[in-house]
Amino acid sequence: MACNIQISSFNQTCFFNRQVKDLFPAIKLKTSKRNTRNAHVVCTLLLPKENSLNSRKLGLNIPITGTQQVPIIMPAITPGKFGKFGGKFVPETLIACLKELEAEFNWALQDPEFQDELEIAFGDYVGRETPLCFAERLTNHYKNKDGQGPEIFLKREDLNHCGAHKLNNAIAQTMIAKRMGMKSVVAATGAGQHRVATAAACAKLSLECTVFMGTSDMEKQSSNVLLMKLLGTEVKGVEGNFKDASSQAIREWVGNLQTTYYLTGTIVGPHPCPSMVREFQSVIGKETRRQAMEKWGGKPDVLLACVGSGSNALGIFHEFIGDEDVRLIGVEAAGFGLDSGKHAATLARGEVGVYHGAMSYLLQDEEGQIIGPHSIGVGLEYPGVSPELSFLKDTGRAEFYSATDEEAVEAYKRLSRIEGIIPSLEASHALAFLEKLCPTLPSGTKVIVNCSGRGDKDAATVLNYQQYSM
Amino acid sequence: MWQRPDSYGRFGKFGGKYVPETLMHALSELESTFNSLKDDPDFQNELAGILKDYVGRETPLYFSERLTEHYRHPNGEGPHIYLKREDLNHTGAHKINNAIGQVFLAKHLGKKRIIAETGAGQHGVATATVCARFGLQCLTYMGAQDMERQALNVFRMRLLDAEVRAVHSRTATLKDATSEAIRDWVANVETTHYILGSVAGPYPYPMMVREKEAMEKWGGKPDVLVACVGEGSDAMGLFDDFIKDKDVRLIGVEAAGLGLDSGKHAATLTKGEVGVLHGTMSYLLQDDDGQIIEPHSISAGLDYPGVGPEHSFLKEKGRAEYYSVTDEEALEAFKRLSRLEGIIPALETSHALAYLEKLSPTLANGTKVVVNCSGRGDKDVQTAIKYLKV
Repeated sequence: MACNIQISSFNQTCFFNRQVKDLFPAIKLKTSKRNTRNAHVVCTLLLPKENSLNSRKLGLNIPITGTQQVPIIMPAITPGKFGKFGGKFVPETLIACLKELEAEFNWALQDPEFQDELEIAFGDYVGRETPLCFAERLTNHYKNKDGQGPEIFLKREDLNHCGAHKLNNAIAQTMIAKRMGMKSVVAATGAGQHRVATAAACAKLSLECTVFMGTSDMEKQSSNVLLMKLLGTEVKGVEGNFKDASSQAIREWVGNLQTTYYLTGTIVGPHPCPSMVREFQSVIGKETRRQAMEKWGGKPDVLLACVGSGSNALGIFHEFIGDEDVRLIGVEAAGFGLDSGKHAATLARGEVGVYHGAMSYLLQDEEGQIIGPHSIGVGLEYPGVSPELSFLKDTGRAEFYSATDEEAVEAYKRLSRIEGIIPSLEASHALAFLEKLCPTLPSGTKVIVNCSGRGDKDAATVLNYQQYSM
Repeated sequence: MWQRPDSYGRFGKFGGKYVPETLMHALSELESTFNSLKDDPDFQNELAGILKDYVGRETPLYFSERLTEHYRHPNGEGPHIYLKREDLNHTGAHKINNAIGQVFLAKHLGKKRIIAETGAGQHGVATATVCARFGLQCLTYMGAQDMERQALNVFRMRLLDAEVRAVHSRTATLKDATSEAIRDWVANVETTHYILGSVAGPYPYPMMVREKEAMEKWGGKPDVLVACVGEGSDAMGLFDDFIKDKDVRLIGVEAAGLGLDSGKHAATLTKGEVGVLHGTMSYLLQDDDGQIIEPHSISAGLDYPGVGPEHSFLKEKGRAEYYSVTDEEALEAFKRLSRLEGIIPALETSHALAYLEKLSPTLANGTKVVVNCSGRGDKDVQTAIKYLKV
């Protein structure tokens, strides 16, 4: 398939995520604003929803003006659907708002000024790019008696400002909120890391910030509450836990649509929220591809990430979805065990339903009521999961397993002891799965674990857990 | 004139090796190994790889837009404030840069046991971290009083498989921990390497710490560099590359605690006198009998009665200027950066940031100021909350 594009010259990479026919006005608008030498047009084409898996970009250097035949290969994301998952199951009042958000998001994606500003924010404020670190002692730990075993690398998202991957998304979305002329931001999530990241981003960009937290979470994460207050955020307690806090945040947003931006940290929710979060987190995977190429001249064989809602997992997976030779493994929270009823293993034990505006797997009982999840990693304690991950599970593109609280705590202590890196309890779930995975892998398999956050925040939890279990 | 240090380990009259006989051989061995390795490309490459992949260097130089705006005069003029983001290092402070280099040295010397002293716990955590990474046994001495103030760091060290030994003698703070660590080293010098966390201490430590932390170039010179000064390692790390550039102003900010006249502070260069402490000649807070005066600062990392000998030298030569800020001013700065930039700085760093209040109005429009954001402040949140009405 090809499209005809009237182009002039401009030297920015522009990412268009629209129907081909919509490209023309966009390009004409661009060319009227720019007058530079080389054109670098990146086009994607929307495919029928059954075929699309991911977006791939085609870059062309076109130094001449005129009409060009531009062959277009693969797909783009369809508007909010991943097979049957995703969508926009929301009240009427929100549809217009979501459409505006989607338009703003698409515009920001192909606006070179926004991209430049974001790159500077990622570089100087967040501290990207994060290193791909060879975990020598962990690799030795998993060697068998013959000295053979996989090679373990860690993608160091723990080194980001605020200590987790969450800021990648928070800073980008806060910049979008500012572009839209919003004055304030509301947010709610489980771990507190998204909230802290949102608080930091709002402080930096001088937006008011209100965060909703379940009262039980406020107790568990009291240090995060203090951090948020220091950063100038108002913290409002909601009876219950994360899902109740989320619902309250959405209510607050709906009541103030003109001035308030709802900053989603999880990769769930109605379109365009999952796509936005995934797009901004996908910087992780893009860096990983480049770093793997630099380090060993190839791709990773296995990518391993913890799965709560799925933002860090999709952040690293997304880039490689089209690479069938890269195994994608997500690890959920099995809490006290999958049969205990106290876990958060949505993809393992959930069923398909609609929650927080999107169709996806979720933990629900026979009456369709949400089952309260449990995990020692608070960020994994969510009864739903990203619609895109649900799709990857159903198509068999990604594999999903789980790790218990106990296994996660062991992994937390293990990485601290043998690599001097204290991982978050969430990331510890991914690390825990190495115990089962490594013996099955041929020698020299390159495994990259997304070390999605640092674990200082979990020190008290681990201490209590140890004392309680003794 | 700026050869630092000279062959006797002195910076002018400061520095030297005021240590028991037993340690002289160890220090010589350290010096010669350091000198041979610093020019060894394999060593340097390995070190650079670890600093990049493990520590997360290089750290960004961040233009602090809202802070710059905050210091703008009504006519729209003011300096440009940049932050050197050492808070983004693995473990959250600049301390790990030094720990990595020294552990490499220790491995080359064939040592299996590492000891360290720590005040805030940052150096202890950094040392424990690196020992875990390289599989070396680690013991950290920490003042019992500091252990209470920094319980999170104590837990982190133990998680990292290090032994944390409480020191109860005297005031049970950093200088007592340092003394204890030196005693241990004297007794176990064959098997043990002592990782000194500060630029204080006998030669060649001051030079080694400083060399690891030379600031990467950023395509232009700053006009002013500002850093907090406890014992002085993070300041030296920032200043080092620019000492020969006379057009770059070097400003160190000490802890004035409850006020310089209160007697409860740690402003060594402002109020101290020359003497010998922990193996080196430098300024220190001492009374008429030459006994060490207990320092005080809200920030454990600045709570030290001595200072690196090179700082004493720079002060005497007039090459660097030293001022001080109180606990209260530091807390205000802690809150200010959190609110304006979403970065929670360490209380130590907050001292440097606090000085901007006095400094900025005096600077010409467009002056480029780089503040060393030497650590993140998560560890200080509990302390700050007690004082601030948040």
